[in-house]
Amino acid sequence: MTMDRIVEAYIGEYASGKSENAVNRALTLAKQGREVTLVDLDLVEPVYTLRPLISLLEEKGVHVIAWKTKETLGLGEAGSVLHPAMRWALKAPGDVILDIGYGAKGSAVLNLLEGIEDEENLRVFLVVNTLRPMTDSVEKIIEYLYETGPAHGLIANTHLGEKTTVSLMEAGLDMVKKVSAETGLPVVAMAVDERFRSDFPEERNDGIPLRFLHRYLPKGFW
Amino acid sequence: MATKPIEKDTNVFVTGNEVVAWAALAADAQIMYGYPITPQNEIMHYWTRLAPKYERRFLQTEDELSAGFTTCGGVMTGTRAFTATAGPGTILMQEPITMAEMMRIPLVVVVQQRGGPSTATVIYSQQEVNLCCYGGNGEGFRVVYSTAGHQDLYDYTIKAFNTAWKYQIPTIVLGDGYQAKMREAVTMYDPASRGIEMEPTKAFVGAEGCPGVDREPRFYRNTYNTEEELLDVVGDLKAHYDSFKDEVVEYEDSDIDDAEIIVVGHGVVSRACKEAVKALRQAGYKVGYFRPITLRPFPQKQLAAAAEGKKAILAVESALGQMKRLITDGLYGMTVPIEEYFKPGKGVSSQELVEKVKSMLD
Repeated sequence: MTMDRIVEAYIGEYASGKSENAVNRALTLAKQGREVTLVDLDLVEPVYTLRPLISLLEEKGVHVIAWKTKETLGLGEAGSVLHPAMRWALKAPGDVILDIGYGAKGSAVLNLLEGIEDEENLRVFLVVNTLRPMTDSVEKIIEYLYETGPAHGLIANTHLGEKTTVSLMEAGLDMVKKVSAETGLPVVAMAVDERFRSDFPEERNDGIPLRFLHRYLPKGFW
Repeated sequence: MATKPIEKDTNVFVTGNEVVAWAALAADAQIMYGYPITPQNEIMHYWTRLAPKYERRFLQTEDELSAGFTTCGGVMTGTRAFTATAGPGTILMQEPITMAEMMRIPLVVVVQQRGGPSTATVIYSQQEVNLCCYGGNGEGFRVVYSTAGHQDLYDYTIKAFNTAWKYQIPTIVLGDGYQAKMREAVTMYDPASRGIEMEPTKAFVGAEGCPGVDREPRFYRNTYNTEEELLDVVGDLKAHYDSFKDEVVEYEDSDIDDAEIIVVGHGVVSRACKEAVKALRQAGYKVGYFRPITLRPFPQKQLAAAAEGKKAILAVESALGQMKRLITDGLYGMTVPIEEYFKPGKGVSSQELVEKVKSMLD
């Protein structure tokens, strides 16, 4: 196992942007010529999130581990079956990006993966949209972190869909920085819809890396 | 006393199910009774996460029959209460809804439509219009609001409580799986800040004094002995409904006057209709838009006025004609042809409607 292997798990409140961040991260790494496996670790509503995107992701060089519709029997209400390939996902060569579904007790679901305790490259990132009502204050985010953590870092992902503005995103980042100051968890990145690319400098003065997101999930389900 | 859930206008990014939970909180609902079914589950999830913070309550029942009846029971104690369901759950919910129709219980039910028949898909459809409007036995009366997105879900969930309590009528907020799971920005507000006063609730049972001695006894009945009695009771229910239905009816329209074709859709599909009409107008086509917001009572007079002298009506829905049946009934006697664009269980895009309307006019 090489140290430069990237293993990242994206956790966060329902609709916080976990999947969008995970998908974009996987594609960014693939574009750099890296070998990447993206795992849809949603045990509540498997099949739905990434299903319509699987072929697009594979065309772009990302190996996807997710349930395929034909492999399942009307999942949706009672889908709590771990795909066998997910259990062994960490044995995949190259980078592994784990998209952790909501309601699955956050990072606790990682315990289902073989080899997780020996995975020294594992980094768990909490994706936070401060315009989600359950994570709209420093106190609530920290409370949520206790419920869903542990995590190694924070990703500021504040947006309001079509109504996003730069000042809303910056205010969200400020709140995430306060969480960072209180918890000691670093702000790993600020995620920004790519349509705002020209509104941001190449490098921010505060040194927080920018991750521009192409929105794939509107093509996905839920 | 816990603080108000929404003190001032707040712009948030939310799913439709969350919006319903927040709206019910803002409307001062005290308890939700429910049984899980996709795609309405997060209404319950969020309600149960929020309820303890605002001193509200939740009861998970053993099925939808029980969820509906316990909601009726809660309401009869004078508590603003609601439930939510979908698909096969909406079938089971009919029995409590009909009891509410018969006893005029202000029951509020949120329905997030999924695909059918039977379990089918957990995803989306507009196939629960029949059930929600006319799904009961007997001929009871109810109000059905069909929402088209998150702001609607917020506004009409609050309104549903007031309609239910003001007119003592079961009231349904009809959403769907897309609205339930979609994410959109919404402005959440304190109803009082919009001049909306919540209708006071009143207890049906537990009044002071000894019945028959200190006060008239109260009989709340859903069972009658003879045909003559039932004739009177149903007649009274109808007279009550007729007395307020014109106040409750709601619709939205645009570009009607010079239109040759009127595109009619409800719920989330109406958004595609609206966009299509906008695009067609820009391209010079004379097309109008009509959206019934209340499916029951149906805006029959308003649609008839809009349809007068038009070349055709195009009924668009994610179903095989459940809304069209309401239109046909409403326009009986008119000669305007009603064309169909039906996609049961599947979404409709504005682009395909543009093509459809062009094919009708070119």
